[in-house]
Amino acid sequence: MTIISLANLKRLFLILVIAAVIAVMTGTPGSSTASPTTGVHGSFLERVSWFGLFAAPRWLLFLTFGVIAWLVISLYRPRARMIRRGIDTVLALPKELTTKKSTRVTLMLVALVVVIFLPKFVHESFWMYLIVEQIGVWILLALGLNVVVGFAGLLDLGFAAFYAIGAYTTAWLTGALPAPALFHHPIPTLWVIPIGILAAMIFGVLLGTPTLRLRGDYLAIVTLGFALIIDDYVETQSGVTGGGVGSTAVPHPALNLGFWHFRWGITPTPYYYLCLVFIVVFIIVFTSLERSRIGRAWVAIREDEVAAESVGINPLKYKVMAFTVGAASGGFGGVMSAGLVGIVTPGLFTFQVSVNVLVLVIFGGMGSIWGVALGAIVIQTATSYLDNYQPWGYQINDLYMYIGALLIVMMIFRPAGLLPSRRRAREFAAAKGGEEVHTDEVLTGDQP
Amino acid sequence: MGFEHFWLSGFDQIHTAFWTYLAVGLQNGSVYAMIAVGYTLVYGVLGLINFAHGEVFMCGGFAGVFLTRDILGNRVGSGWGSVGLIFAGIVIGGLVSALVAIGVEQAAYRPLRRRNAPKLAFLISAIGASYFLQTLAGKEFGYGVNIFPGEVFEPGQVMFTLFGTPIHTIAIVSIIAAIVMLVVADRIVRATRLGRGIRAVSQDAETSSLMGVNIDRTITITFILGGALAGAAGFLYSLQSGIVQNAGTEIGIYAFTAAVLGGIGNLRGAALGGLLIGLFGSFSVPFAFEGNVQWTEIYTFLILVLVLIIRPTGILGEKSGRTA
Amino acid sequence: MKLRLNKAVVVTSVGAMLAAGIPLAGMASTSSAATAKPTYTIGVEGPFSGSDANYGDYIIGGVELAINAANASGMHKFTLKAEKFDDQGSSSLSPAAAQKATGTKNLVAVVGPAFSGASEAAAPYYSKAHVAEVSASATAVALASGTDSNFMRTIADDSVQGKADADYLVTVKGVKNLLVISDASFYGDGLATVVATDAKALGATVTTQQIPNVSTGGGGTTTEYGPAATAIATSAPGAVFYGGYSPDFGLLLSALSSAGYTASAHVIMSGDGSNSPSLVTSTSPASAANGVYLSEGAAGKVNFLTGKLATAYVKLTKIKASVAEYAAQAYDATNAIIAALGKTNTPKTVTTTLRKEVVANLHKVNFKGITGTIAFAGDGDLKNDTGTSAISEVESGTITFLLNQG
Repeated sequence: MTIISLANLKRLFLILVIAAVIAVMTGTPGSSTASPTTGVHGSFLERVSWFGLFAAPRWLLFLTFGVIAWLVISLYRPRARMIRRGIDTVLALPKELTTKKSTRVTLMLVALVVVIFLPKFVHESFWMYLIVEQIGVWILLALGLNVVVGFAGLLDLGFAAFYAIGAYTTAWLTGALPAPALFHHPIPTLWVIPIGILAAMIFGVLLGTPTLRLRGDYLAIVTLGFALIIDDYVETQSGVTGGGVGSTAVPHPALNLGFWHFRWGITPTPYYYLCLVFIVVFIIVFTSLERSRIGRAWVAIREDEVAAESVGINPLKYKVMAFTVGAASGGFGGVMSAGLVGIVTPGLFTFQVSVNVLVLVIFGGMGSIWGVALGAIVIQTATSYLDNYQPWGYQINDLYMYIGALLIVMMIFRPAGLLPSRRRAREFAAAKGGEEVHTDEVLTGDQP
Repeated sequence: MGFEHFWLSGFDQIHTAFWTYLAVGLQNGSVYAMIAVGYTLVYGVLGLINFAHGEVFMCGGFAGVFLTRDILGNRVGSGWGSVGLIFAGIVIGGLVSALVAIGVEQAAYRPLRRRNAPKLAFLISAIGASYFLQTLAGKEFGYGVNIFPGEVFEPGQVMFTLFGTPIHTIAIVSIIAAIVMLVVADRIVRATRLGRGIRAVSQDAETSSLMGVNIDRTITITFILGGALAGAAGFLYSLQSGIVQNAGTEIGIYAFTAAVLGGIGNLRGAALGGLLIGLFGSFSVPFAFEGNVQWTEIYTFLILVLVLIIRPTGILGEKSGRTA
Repeated sequence: MKLRLNKAVVVTSVGAMLAAGIPLAGMASTSSAATAKPTYTIGVEGPFSGSDANYGDYIIGGVELAINAANASGMHKFTLKAEKFDDQGSSSLSPAAAQKATGTKNLVAVVGPAFSGASEAAAPYYSKAHVAEVSASATAVALASGTDSNFMRTIADDSVQGKADADYLVTVKGVKNLLVISDASFYGDGLATVVATDAKALGATVTTQQIPNVSTGGGGTTTEYGPAATAIATSAPGAVFYGGYSPDFGLLLSALSSAGYTASAHVIMSGDGSNSPSLVTSTSPASAANGVYLSEGAAGKVNFLTGKLATAYVKLTKIKASVAEYAAQAYDATNAIIAALGKTNTPKTVTTTLRKEVVANLHKVNFKGITGTIAFAGDGDLKNDTGTSAISEVESGTITFLLNQG
């Protein structure tokens, strides 16, 4: 039982480094006016109570945990491997359980019932608002990006543009922008929905046609560049878009069918149902697309574009289609958000928003509709909870630190995501095993 | 008529303040060039856009700031004292950045290389590393407030007057430091064994390893080189504009545009691209409609997009994988 | 058999205990209820994180000071506590913060929201919940529109401040050529518009520009200030007025000074959003802030806590009272709420009726606070705001009061 071997010592060093990083991540913040070492100082030297029994400095706490973890891993390597295998089995459970169609259908029905009756259980209007704004809208965005990244394998870092197009179109057509509405006749928010979706889709075509010829990383940068350009341009046109301030006067949706009126006010629950209906619609549409010829064309393009072309599939056409379809969901998310919150600002276009959606898709499992929806729910709920209740000394701005670390760790240990699409999981596993797999252009990264 | 007037008044402004715009352009350009080298070298050896490189730049900036402001006591330098302070700032900034770059490589990229991960995974990991570093820096050093290094020389000091325009010391310092460091980097890549290794791995990693090049070590050296330059750039940038936790994302996109414009994978291309983007950004200021500075950003991003669509190999780039 | 017996014993004994306990507990609570005062929460919505967090701290200090005094005096039929609701000064985060506040069980009223953009976004939510918002710092003119009876403020609005700024610049400083910059926030834009209009009316040539801010998520980036400053330095207007917040104004000043447009050679001015020591720390070199003029929404000398209150404030918050902007207004706002509560019948739990009563009573308060007479007009503005604005200058890194303008 030689603990002091080089490999074990290296492992100790690594574990202690990780423990130190976690200590700083969860420790006290510094500030721009204080000395730069205050944060690190506090993170290590602050005295905390151990299990409510006695107080000792943090560095001791983390050192202890680190050493214990190292001992456990080093001494019980076989057990550690067993644990690892156990974790893998647990993570694979969802797929195992849902292989049978009957289980899948039952699960979906249960989920549907839960989701329909959810508002009865949520008493605080504050949480209901968060559910729609932070979760509902983002599920829509994640579903849309999933079509682009997951189905067609196109890395889009500017997806926020579609979201913002939907929101700004809503603001414009309802007369909330300085620019007068079309034909000087503002229309009610609800009727903007199809137009907002259409505007986003048209934009998808316009953006996609010149850029989708590019490969992997270059496509990513181009989409990013366009998103930044649009963001800046909208800010400059104060006379049309309200510039940096945007507009705060987007009216809430209202349905006036003559015999029946309904006004979505500021209670979140009606929005919840509106959002839910559309989420279900989009899930159904996207699932059928996935199974259709178009979906198969996307898979073909993803796996081997040259081969696909040789059997008569026009890659550009299908890629633009993917963009357009994804844009539809993104655009609707924008309409929804504008109607609920009533505010549109250029802040909707930022790179951060695009990356957020990407995180949801990656975390959930790109290519998998349910995975992505679940991933969105998990991350957005966690985010909302952390931001609003700040447990264990969590600071609001820390969120992206954890998301960043999560991304790195996920890519190392579980790149396929939470609920991976079967095909993608196979691709990752094969690549890991060193096989020559014809994966999509993003994955191979062939330079032009 | 108004349009014509706009262009004429723009050129007129350039005419009156030509040397100011030139100096500012070269100053910014030197910062972009130094950062762009890091992007281009890493792309050459790994085929990866190192999203976290902007944060490497930012960390070096913070290091230089804390050194001159806190450790060296925030003294106003003069004469040789100033030179010493600048040198110290650059060295420490470069050192810290190199360490951060190594850290990123070891934590975010090496494990993926071991697992033969697809390109997408590297990109996502890069974004993750970028977010992580940025937020950590913000947590430790404050969000959204620019902090400045010690007053290394008299603020706003004018070194000399050229045709009636005052040229600030900061500009000359940045330009000279950048030229020196870029030449050194170029020599390293072209004339040393290390550099040959980098160029070999960029061209063909598998054959290089068969020929005895230690891939892991070469990659580490690449990150060190790129990181050091970015860190030095960080300190120089902070002299003018201060450093803040999200400086990396903002300057990073400009530097990446420079790398792409000059030819990604090509060090001299990165230097050239940096120069061009810096000058372009500066001279486009008079052409900002209604004085909205977003227009200068729009113009630069347009260059990025157009280069990628029309000529992705950039000015000096030939096929992919040529680092020199 | 044994098991079941044991179970039966346990169940019966527990049941007996409960049965005995309930009336005992009931007696205990009724007896304490007779003497216990209800506790109400006063919410404070504002930036408590991010680069504008200092403003939130100043305000909640003032609120807590007033609350502690009220609780200690024992004169009221209720006890109070303060609770923060962080919106980071941003109008997009404000609706969630407002909903959280209105959802808090024993919340009677809110001091805030601190920033004007946040106020505008949150207004419908407070209206719906009938919760009074008495802001100590939201100065945008459009907020007191007359249609929202829930919104009140203990500070003069930007029409007063902006007019004073324009007067100072044109008539006192003799500026003929003025550049007005807005930070594209609801507050900054509003203030800048007032200044621009009033300065034009006084005969100056006015150009306007927008540089979106970074601090409240206005979509700006720190790299924009450099080119903007170069352009400004080249066109060299006689004076620059910036409508926005201190972190962003600091960035602008730094860039302007690097570009050669200094506050010593030209007139640079900003409003109450920049009027705090955080301006000096956001500028580099710090000397670039010297000579900058700042205005405030109230007359000088009543603007900050002084004397015993100041000492108590420092003890409570560790912040110097002479720099804590809006603390005095927050103190007055809290006392207004306390006065309004005093006229209700202080029920044990907070109901919508109580909240509505608070709103109605607030419109009827009239007392002498430390910033002046606190009485609200129908639209929520102070009835008799003096129409004066304090103008200060930054001298050697400290903000020193110059004169009252208006």
